Amino acid sequence: MIFLRYHGKVGTACAVGAWTATAGLILLAGFLAVRGWGVLDPAFFLSSPSRDPGRAGIGPALAGTLWLALLTVAFALPVGVGAAVYLEEYAPKNRWATFGESVVVSLAGVPSVVYGVAGLAVFVRAMGAGRSILAGGLTLAVLALPVVIATSREAIRSVPDGLRRAAYGLGATRWQVLRHQILPAAAPGIATGSCLAFTRAVGEAAPLLVIGAASFVTFAPQGPGDPLISLPTRIFAWTTHAQPEFGALAAGAAIALLLLLLAANLAVLAARRRMRRAYL
Amino acid sequence: MTPPASVPVLSAEGLSVSFDGRTALSNVSLELPRGRIVSIIGPSGCGKTTLLRCFNRMNELVEGAHTAGAVRFEGFDLYAAHVDPVEVRRQIGMVFQQPTPFPKSVFDNVAFGPRASGFKGDLHALVEEVLSSAGLWPEVAAELDAPALALSAGQQQRLCIARTLAVKPSVLLMDEPTSALDPTATARIEALVHSLKGTYTVVIATHDLQQAARLSDLTAFLDGGDLVEYGPTETLFTNPRDPRTESYLTGRAR
Ligand SMILES: Nc1ncnc2c1ncn2[C@@H]1O[C@H](COP(=O)(O)OP(=O)(O)O)[C@@H](O)[C@H]1O
Ligand SMILES: [Mg+2]
Repeated sequence: MIFLRYHGKVGTACAVGAWTATAGLILLAGFLAVRGWGVLDPAFFLSSPSRDPGRAGIGPALAGTLWLALLTVAFALPVGVGAAVYLEEYAPKNRWATFGESVVVSLAGVPSVVYGVAGLAVFVRAMGAGRSILAGGLTLAVLALPVVIATSREAIRSVPDGLRRAAYGLGATRWQVLRHQILPAAAPGIATGSCLAFTRAVGEAAPLLVIGAASFVTFAPQGPGDPLISLPTRIFAWTTHAQPEFGALAAGAAIALLLLLLAANLAVLAARRRMRRAYL
Repeated sequence: MTPPASVPVLSAEGLSVSFDGRTALSNVSLELPRGRIVSIIGPSGCGKTTLLRCFNRMNELVEGAHTAGAVRFEGFDLYAAHVDPVEVRRQIGMVFQQPTPFPKSVFDNVAFGPRASGFKGDLHALVEEVLSSAGLWPEVAAELDAPALALSAGQQQRLCIARTLAVKPSVLLMDEPTSALDPTATARIEALVHSLKGTYTVVIATHDLQQAARLSDLTAFLDGGDLVEYGPTETLFTNPRDPRTESYLTGRAR
């Protein structure tokens, strides 16, 4: 094998793995495109789901997912970064901190459907938010939180200590050091890690299905109190139909979801570049 | 009215510091006269940095650090319960071993301290003033908006000195400020330190004996956390009282 000469055995294994994964992704995207391309027209993005596959669209579901994304980021980002700042810069480094750290790490490994069960009990029932966009957003925020905390901690920890010392040495308060040195320096890392957490959360169907996403809402949600609908649960609903036309709709909606997440990633990438440039 | 020169600006009384129970400084007492340059010499790990950091309460940022004894600034106990360490650091500035410019513009680096303490006057005038004092103004005047990290190491260190001066401290603590620099940059910093004499009280830790001899009025020799000898630089270098000082100065292993 030609790789072997250049990379050695481990390197070859990694290269084969990487190329297999890439090929798999291309295959997946290609399959979706072939399946779903036909349904992608402006009407598809605007119209409501319908019993008639020729008229059905993802309008309300798309709006629901945008709302969910907004709420998830609005809840999880401040709470997650705040928790990371507390753990890194304020909390005493004792046994409790170590315990808290391992809890956060294990929460990151909890299956998403379990977050759905918890969200159903806490946000839908106990809090009385009902099967709403709000309950969904809160559940997805909690789902994203462990990864946001972990990556933010990592980003904060990698800020050089000399920067902190220099700022303290100039008579800056703890808050000023945090606000003007640590957070700007950690921001690119926080953005990268959090973006990953958020795109994963917003793409989840399972927890929203457990909470009880409505499958046949024909109007776009106007606010957090409206019934919970989303693109992933819409895709799931269409895949359960027997008629092949609905399979095409599901593929089209999947393409829309992927494009949405891709756009979010690119936006964060661009923002991060700007941050780094402003920073240097 | 300025107090008489006999009143020390800073003094340490029975100062001891430990990190996680390991002693780094034991029972150090010394007085720093106003407007003079005092150097602290001694082998690596003898406690120079630790002693400097006691003078502006930077040690307490280190987890596991424990300080005992007293440090007096203008007669007041810096470690008294009501004293705010932030205020202490505005009076007693520090320059570090590695140049640590903030990843911001030259201007914002210098302006950071004044902004943090709520400076109300003419910030541009202040920035020009301290950059001039640090001998950096002619080199950066045209590009105050350029990133500080683009400067050379020597320029960065002079920027860090200017940045510290901008807070208007009365004491300047310098922790081996030239150890990361080449001889030319070192000479510039030394000239700068010399020009600050009188206006500021400067405490400079250094492992460069020639530098201590060239710059300072008084020299303290630390070894293993003990203050072995402290006195006029010339006396200490030409006629050390303690055999430990003598063997360190002559480079003989004990
Ligand atoms: N942050 C720290 N944590 C633990 N030990 C430290 C720390 N800083 C310094 N020490 C210890 O204190 C002693 C004195 O160190 P230091 O003041 O840095 O010496 P110098 O500046 O003269 O090289 C050394 O033994 C060093 O290991
Ligand atoms: Mg040192």
